[in-house]
Amino acid sequence: MTTATDEMRIDPEEMREAAQRLLADMLDRRAAWEGKNEIAATLEAEISELGWYQLIASETLGGLGQSFAALAPVYEELGKSLAPVWLSGTMAAIDALQSAGDLGSDWAAAIVEQAWRVAPVILPHGQAGGAHCLPMVPGAPEATHLLIVEEGGRAILAENAAPGVSVVPVQTWDLGRSYGEVEVVGLADGIGSIDAALVLPVLRAHLELALAWDSVGGAGQCLTETVEYMLGRQQFGRPIASFQALKHRAADHKVAIELARSLAGRASGLFADRAEGWSVMAAQARILACDAYAAMAEDAIQMFGGVGFTWEYNPHLFLKRALVNRIIGGSPDAVRDRIADEVCSRALGTRTV
Amino acid sequence: MSEQDTVARLRTEVREWLGQNLPDNWRDRQRGDDIPGFLAMQREWFGKLVEAGYATPHWPSEWPGGGRSLAEQIALFEELARGGAPRMSLFFVSLYHAAMTLVECGTDAQRARHLPAILKGEVWCQGFSEPGAGSDLAALRTRAERKGDRYIVSGQKIWSTLGHFADQCLLLVRTDSSGPKQAGITFLLMDMKSKGIDVRPIKQITGDEEFAEIFLDEVEIPVENLVGKENEGWKVAQVTLSSERGLTLVELTERMALSLWRLVLAATGGSGDTSRLDQSVARSIVDISARLEAMRAMLATLMANRIAGREAVGDASILKLAYARLSRDFTALGLRLQGYAAMRDTSYVLGAGYETGNWMFDFLNSYQYNIAGGSNEIQRNIVSERVLNMPREKLG
Repeated sequence: MTTATDEMRIDPEEMREAAQRLLADMLDRRAAWEGKNEIAATLEAEISELGWYQLIASETLGGLGQSFAALAPVYEELGKSLAPVWLSGTMAAIDALQSAGDLGSDWAAAIVEQAWRVAPVILPHGQAGGAHCLPMVPGAPEATHLLIVEEGGRAILAENAAPGVSVVPVQTWDLGRSYGEVEVVGLADGIGSIDAALVLPVLRAHLELALAWDSVGGAGQCLTETVEYMLGRQQFGRPIASFQALKHRAADHKVAIELARSLAGRASGLFADRAEGWSVMAAQARILACDAYAAMAEDAIQMFGGVGFTWEYNPHLFLKRALVNRIIGGSPDAVRDRIADEVCSRALGTRTV
Repeated sequence: MSEQDTVARLRTEVREWLGQNLPDNWRDRQRGDDIPGFLAMQREWFGKLVEAGYATPHWPSEWPGGGRSLAEQIALFEELARGGAPRMSLFFVSLYHAAMTLVECGTDAQRARHLPAILKGEVWCQGFSEPGAGSDLAALRTRAERKGDRYIVSGQKIWSTLGHFADQCLLLVRTDSSGPKQAGITFLLMDMKSKGIDVRPIKQITGDEEFAEIFLDEVEIPVENLVGKENEGWKVAQVTLSSERGLTLVELTERMALSLWRLVLAATGGSGDTSRLDQSVARSIVDISARLEAMRAMLATLMANRIAGREAVGDASILKLAYARLSRDFTALGLRLQGYAAMRDTSYVLGAGYETGNWMFDFLNSYQYNIAGGSNEIQRNIVSERVLNMPREKLG
């Protein structure tokens, strides 16, 4: 929860400009795709230096007490630029832990003070004791800690190398981001544990909204670059962007992206205020945004034509990122199944006849 | 009082008023009712709205109920939708298109004659589209020739909403064919009882007859019924077409959002027991619900921008496309869920908008939103050309 008063609130558009400046200066989005991985660490160090991780932490924890509103544009810009860094794991952990009792606050304070980097790991109910493997956790290889949360059980903050936890970096089709395979094989709660119910809803909603904004940003950028390409590409003596078949597809993507952006905005507002329905709305924002991104990126390759099939051109960067965004932390259908009952029950509650 | 307080107060006021004035059996009365029943219900409801001042929030402040801000108008439409009130079908063109055209472009005499009459129930229709002028409205060919103090008009109009019940018509005619097609259009007010008018309702795929064709054979229209100047009617028509300022979409979206429960009910075989939901159906409902909430959020942003005077080019087209696609998918899902029952249930509620409770009717009717007021294809042209800056088609 935020404790900042109105005067202390940072204008989200200032955060957007700050993110744009930083990313324009530092980012070569293809670096990791050409085997140059050091850029992620440099960018991550710069972001730490700028104090962005302090944004969401309350002032009592030494943070800036900002609401999610200040983070949304950052996530969107990261998505737009296909950034190799994954801020939302640590951010979501701080956001969730700081309102999860004394122990939670202590952990959140430690994360802020000691610049721990956290990868959240959400396990299905009943899996904390036995061996359970998550194949692709973003940011896990670089994380100093894992926030392991068992649905319906306990939440534990464990060091990356703690006994009972194994993190192995994995190569995926999305070379632009780092992922780790995380295996949890029976865990001793050395430094205590928290009821998962106190942590999970905020943790999850934050992660989902971060993904939603990342996807809205990526999809919008992908559309912009696709239209630019079509304006330049001449066939039959005219730019292919003048063909109605292509114009109409581009228009449909624009509509889908704007709908996703609107829902992400609405959901972020509800989440920042913890207003009624924030949890379901965050999940829905993620579904819509990830679907819009995947559809856009899939079509981008087709609209680029032959060069879209080459490694040299960029549409495949968007496609791979979009497809990964859609599944990390739970497939779209898993997300739908999780909220379906609440969506339906709520709808029945408005029955008028 | 701040704008926010005014809006909140209006909402409370409307809710209370609806509690006392909404006929609670109107749906039963209208289900499968005939045309006279529909007209009677519309007139009764319109009378109540006028009396309360809720029919004219957008009129100038010297009129009862008038002078309300766009924010208040939005709130009013939302509350009427949320309260499950009948739509203002029969009087919508009168209250918005006709009245706003007269307010902005009419003469004092025209206003004095028609605005009070509209509040007493004068029904207007729009004579804009023609068989050869749909998306390309400016290609209209209905001819008007001036002879002394009258215009003599011949031609054919189509898609006039409820034109067969109209007393008056907002008519676009061609008075000059020599220049660019937009330049020779004139805007007239036509009394529907004039000699030479033949109105034929169009039977739609729903079986309903909401639209009409109007055949004009040397109809005489007095020159004092000219709105704006001769050959400058295209400008006036733009005022007519923008008169409802997105409020229809606000109402329709709200009505659709508030009928999501009908989908859930259909998905549970009418039981409302969500444990009976099929997994794939439940997933579809989650997606439809997400799109509905997104639509609501996008609409709220557009209306806020409109209020602040910073609407961007193409915003309205993005919204209309989103709504059109959603209306089709929403009703198609209901249709799928109901199976045989949807094919056999042919009774529906007249004048309800998106909550007839008849999935087949609503599904068929959703084509309206995909075609009328600028088809999806036209909206896609606008979005690609004016928002994404893709090259314009060379049009004739």
